Amino acid sequence: MKDNDFSNSRREFLKRTGFVSAALLSVSALSTFIPSQKGSLGGLMGALGPGEAQAAPAGIKEKLESTFGGRKVEMSHVVMKTPIIAENGAVVPINISSDLPMEPGNYVKKIYIFVDNNLDPFIASMDLTPANGKAALSLRIKMRKTSRVRTILEDSNGKLYGSTKTVKVTIGGCGG
Amino acid sequence: MPHGIGRIKIRLPRTIHKGQVIDVKTLIIHPMETGFRKDKATKRKVPAFYIDEVSVYYGGTLISRAKWTMAVSTNPFMSFYVKADKEAPLKIVWKDIKGGVYEKTVQVKPQ
Amino acid sequence: MIKKILNLHEVLTCAVLVLAVTWLSGFSPGGAWAADNKAGTTIEELTPSMSYAEYHKRYEAYYGDTTARMAEEGNPADFLLDDGKDLANKVEGSKGKSCASCHGKDALKLKGAATTYPRYDAKLSGIMTFALQINTCRQKQMGAKPLKYESYDQLALTMYIKSLSNGMPIKVSIAGPAQSFFEKGKIAYYKRQGQLNFSCAICHVQYAGYKARSNLISNNKHHADHWPSYRLKWGKTGSLQRRFRGCLKNMRAKRPPQQSEILRNMELYLTYINNGDLIQVPGMRM
Repeated sequence: MKDNDFSNSRREFLKRTGFVSAALLSVSALSTFIPSQKGSLGGLMGALGPGEAQAAPAGIKEKLESTFGGRKVEMSHVVMKTPIIAENGAVVPINISSDLPMEPGNYVKKIYIFVDNNLDPFIASMDLTPANGKAALSLRIKMRKTSRVRTILEDSNGKLYGSTKTVKVTIGGCGG
Repeated sequence: MPHGIGRIKIRLPRTIHKGQVIDVKTLIIHPMETGFRKDKATKRKVPAFYIDEVSVYYGGTLISRAKWTMAVSTNPFMSFYVKADKEAPLKIVWKDIKGGVYEKTVQVKPQ
Repeated sequence: MIKKILNLHEVLTCAVLVLAVTWLSGFSPGGAWAADNKAGTTIEELTPSMSYAEYHKRYEAYYGDTTARMAEEGNPADFLLDDGKDLANKVEGSKGKSCASCHGKDALKLKGAATTYPRYDAKLSGIMTFALQINTCRQKQMGAKPLKYESYDQLALTMYIKSLSNGMPIKVSIAGPAQSFFEKGKIAYYKRQGQLNFSCAICHVQYAGYKARSNLISNNKHHADHWPSYRLKWGKTGSLQRRFRGCLKNMRAKRPPQQSEILRNMELYLTYINNGDLIQVPGMRM
């Protein structure tokens, strides 16, 4: 009889732990579907496109605030090409191009590149003049980890245009 | 590639028409040290050493100036556009934080 | 009663452990080596994971055309090509010759020479790779010192002379005495080794197109046409044999030295199965 009890209790224990862990798992799975209640961050951050609810690091907020003040960024006229996955964060190619006019009096004055999760979010900028003919820039940059890459174009009238993309930086399992 | 910091390649399209907006591709050999990397042998941090300014002159006038930080990759590549409306030299000058100045001039010859 | 049950449990666990240990030891590195020696030349049967078209589709979806575009825009290895050209014209050694003395200005007569390497060499009674051929030539014809493998000059010279064959298809032959070395190379490619007990083929045949952590494992097609190649991970240019050694390190296996017999045989095998690929030097890869 006793051995029966033993095995019973053991089985019971396994059952219970199994149920509890399953319940825990389902709860945690559900919680990922519950939308975050943070809402829009407002101001400049709000203007920087969807997905901003996931908190941006403090460094980038300060940097954008100090560079552009509270000016709104229009998320159009800029095309940024990045890899979806960068196996090597030390070399990530970024291509920026824009269809904005480049005529005297109305041209793109400056192109900025920011990476949210780098120690210094400011990567590079380039001053342009109408003699460039086209507002475009390609550069290879370093990224510390998976992060949002932002580019902001400032035109001669002080208007801002931008584009953001997320680049996954992975630590490769291979690659000798 | 330890050989030759400051070696430069500038590539222009083969044929250029007058007034065409051309793609200028540049490559320079430079370590672009961030200052955070540790030397495996000496266990000491390698001091920062990177290019922080690039200037583009076309026919003697400054048309573009880039500001870089250490977050630009080793052996930096950059491409940008220039409106080829005259036959003139295109000079590009890189400056690093230790006072190194590297420059190269190519002739833009629109047909 | 409880005691008895516990005893039974103990006995059972012991038996299971012993079984597990014997089962596992069959797959341990030591076991694999022993089995290999006994069996001689058996090759593990592996089925390719998927067609190349399917693999390529996955690659495009995962990485896009990033490296291809970067290679087109500006490859830092292009600087080596210029230096290689200078080296080909540089007089070195006791006989006062350069590559150009025999092979014409800029060694241009060597156009297409790289397509048939690696190949069997009677004097070596082994496989001659392109890098080894250049060094042999330097020693015998020029009386110069051989260049150290993976050194800047060696890579530059090899890359330059190989680049003369750019755009030409690889046509390596395994007829005659090369056949046995090809077989050896194939066995080396399929042999499980190292602490992780992998073979080259496990990843690049059986699991090509799947992921190892976050990497998409590459298919072994087009693995031989672009060396010496600039690799973003290295931040510099390297040879195919350096890549072999890198892979072997990841498998935690013994790493034979550069241009050792086993690596030369493997190079022959990998190049032969990629016959017909157009040589495109320097390459640029992740």
